[in-house]
Formats: sequence, C-alpha cells, structure tokens
Amino acid sequence: MAFAMRVKVPPNSATLQEARHQTFDFFRTACRSIPSIMDIYNLYDVVTPAQLRSTIAAEIRKNAHITNPKVIDMLLFKGMEELSNITEHAKQRHHIIGQYVVGNHGLVQDVATKDENISNFLKNFYKTNYF
Amino acid sequence: MASVAGSFMASLSSHKPNQTLTRASNLNAVSLAISGKSFPSLKLSSAPSRFRVSCAATPETVDKVCHIVRKQLAVPEGTAVTGESKFATLGADSLDTVEIVMGLEEEFGISVEEESAQTIATVQDAADLIEKLVSKK
Repeated sequence: MAFAMRVKVPPNSATLQEARHQTFDFFRTACRSIPSIMDIYNLYDVVTPAQLRSTIAAEIRKNAHITNPKVIDMLLFKGMEELSNITEHAKQRHHIIGQYVVGNHGLVQDVATKDENISNFLKNFYKTNYF
Repeated sequence: MASVAGSFMASLSSHKPNQTLTRASNLNAVSLAISGKSFPSLKLSSAPSRFRVSCAATPETVDKVCHIVRKQLAVPEGTAVTGESKFATLGADSLDTVEIVMGLEEEFGISVEEESAQTIATVQDAADLIEKLVSKK
C-alpha cells in the first residue's frame, strides 16, 4: 500500500543537523506526492501545486523554532502520518480543501506561541470588520 | 634563410626566458614572447578550483529560473535577479531553497538528486544543473 513506501527509517536523530536533513527529506517527499494528491482529490481547479508547496512549507515553518531533535522527530512522524493518510485517500476532498487550501483562519483559535509571526493587523482583520 | 631564422630563434629563446623568469617573480601574469608571437598571458595563480560545467545554461533557462525564484521569494521589483545572485542574499532560508528546487523540478520535469540539491547556491548553479539533467533525459 502507499503507507509502506512512506516509512522513514531512522526514528532517532542524534543531532539537530540530522533532524534538519530529515525535515528536508520529508518536505521533498511531500512535494513529490503533490501531483498524485491533486489527481486523487481532483484539486486542479481549486489550487495550483505551487500553492500546495507553500502551504506545506508554511506548516513546517510554524515549528521552525524547535531545537530539540526528539521533538522534531515526533513532529516529522506526525507529518508523515498525515501525508500517508492523504495519499492513501483516507481523507476526503473537503478535508484537504479546508485544511490546506483555505486555511483555518478564524476556524481555530490562534494559539499565541504558534502564530507569533502573523501581524496584529491580520489577526484583527480576520476577527472582525471593525478595528 | 631557415638556418638564420633558426639561429635567431635559438638566440631569442635563450635570452628571453632569463628575463621572463626574473619578471615572473614580480608579476602574476607572464607573457612569453617567442619569435615575435606573444601567447595570451597565463595566470600563475589559478582561479578557485571549482569545476565549471562545460555547457553553460542557456539564457532562457536562466530566465525561467529567475522568474520562479522571483515569484517564490516575492522579490520586489527593484531588486535584480541575475545568474550570480545567491539565494541567501535574496532572503531565502534553507527551506525556501528546497522549495525553489522542487518548483524547478516540477517546471522542467526533472528529478534532482539530493546531493546535487545541496550544492545549489546561486541561480546559475540551478540553471546549469537543470541543463545537465534535461540533456541527460
């Protein structure tokens, strides 16, 4: 099945450098499976591969401040799991569109530590018309 | 006639090297003048030992790469993106670089090996690598 291909072999990164390497590998795997994802969920009219790439990069960047290799391994494992779920069609089109195309602005409460980089203007803008 | 020329050349070559050798210690560029013909100057200190790919990338490839880079990094209109611009100076971090390489993979229909992807630092590097992979296909 698709998930057999996805297994990343070394679960324990010894150093931050190795964890970085694994992150880039994961990103490359995800980008290489974008064409099949677009095919499975019929996203051709909704989004371009470039937009999906930047969404994936944004998700990775959200956790860019982490320095503990074990935590990074855990995040990568979760990322791989999500990618496997998507590629083996365990999700549905509205999941993909809601989570990765439209984004979850306003649907999920912003946790302060994760969204430090979004400007205050944007935060207010998404919340209400009058500010 | 030939013997005269031969002896003339012999005397020239016996004289000239002494002068050029003494001058060589001062100058970087040595021009050897033998029988009136001067060869192009040879640099004693070679350029940094990067192995240049013999086939340079075509301008269209470089243009396409520049366009993709400009879009990916949202480079403002004033900044020039040329063959020699490094990704780091344009404001790309390592993830951006990987993303640009992925975008180029998709655009040109190639597959970049991981080791080659590590060595890409400038736009020209990327264009050369693309040319190599496209011609290998």
